[in-house]
Amino acid sequence: MPIPASPTIASLLRTPAAALAGTDLRISLPLTRSLLNEVLAARPPDTPVQQLLIDPESGNRFRVHLTAHAPVVGSVTRRITFVPGPAVAFPDQPWLRFDIVDGLGFLDRSLISLLQGQIEARLPQGVELTSKYLRLHVPALLTHLGYQQLVPLIRELDLHSEANRLILQLHLKTD
Amino acid sequence: MHPVLQHLIDNDFRDLAGSRVEGQLSLSDDLINLGIHELLAQLTAPAPAPPAPTEVPSPKPQTTTPAPDPRALLGKLDVEKLNYRTETGRTIVEIACAIKN
Repeated sequence: MPIPASPTIASLLRTPAAALAGTDLRISLPLTRSLLNEVLAARPPDTPVQQLLIDPESGNRFRVHLTAHAPVVGSVTRRITFVPGPAVAFPDQPWLRFDIVDGLGFLDRSLISLLQGQIEARLPQGVELTSKYLRLHVPALLTHLGYQQLVPLIRELDLHSEANRLILQLHLKTD
Repeated sequence: MHPVLQHLIDNDFRDLAGSRVEGQLSLSDDLINLGIHELLAQLTAPAPAPPAPTEVPSPKPQTTTPAPDPRALLGKLDVEKLNYRTETGRTIVEIACAIKN
C-alpha cells in the first residue's frame, strides 16, 4: 500500500474499522467516459496493453477498445462488449463479474483457453479472465493492493452502465 | 499532481456531476485529534526558505500546479442534510448531499 503523506489519512487507512466505527454511508458515483479514460490512461507504463479505451453504453453494457501484445500472435486489437454482473455483497458474493458478450471470435476464445495458465500468471491476484468473462475477487484484489483493512467496510458494491457513464454504487458500513 | 485529479480540476469537476453521498460518517476522537495536530503543524511550520541564488540559472523555471480552490467544488454541492453531533469518543456527521448536474 502506498503510504500517504498525511499521518491522519495513513492512520485512517491503517485501522479504518476503529477510526470509522459507526459509519454507514451510501455513495453513488457516476464515472463519465472522459474520467474513466483518464483513469485508464494513468495506468502503469509497463502493462502489456498499448491502447485501452472504455465506452459505456445504455442497456447496462460497455465496450472496451484495446490493443495488446498477446503471446504467439503478437499485437492484437479488439473491441469487446462487457455486461456487468450482480452487485458484490460481502461476505456471500465477493466477485465483481463482467460477462463478455461480443468482440471475441472463435479463434480468440480458443487462444484464451489454450493460454489460460499464462494469462493467469500475468494478471494481478484476484483478477480472472476467461473467454467468457472477466471477474474480480474484490477482497483478494484489495489485499493485493495493500488495502485489506478496507474489505470489511464494503457491504455492497455495484457497477452498471448507462449511456456515456458507468455508475458505481457503494455501501460502506462498520460494525 | 496526479493526472486524474488534474483532469477533474481542469474540467471544473463536471465529471463528478450527479455524485451523491448519504448516511452517517463517524470519526473517532483519535482520528480527529490526529487531524488537528497535523493541521496545527502545517499552520505553524516555518515558511520554506527561498532558493539560494546560483550563478548558472536553471534552463527552465520549475512550475508547480496550484492547489485546487475548494470553493470551486463546494459551489457545486447541493446539501440536503448536514447534522453534526458527538457521542462518547466519536464525532458524527449525518449528511445527504450531491454534486449538481
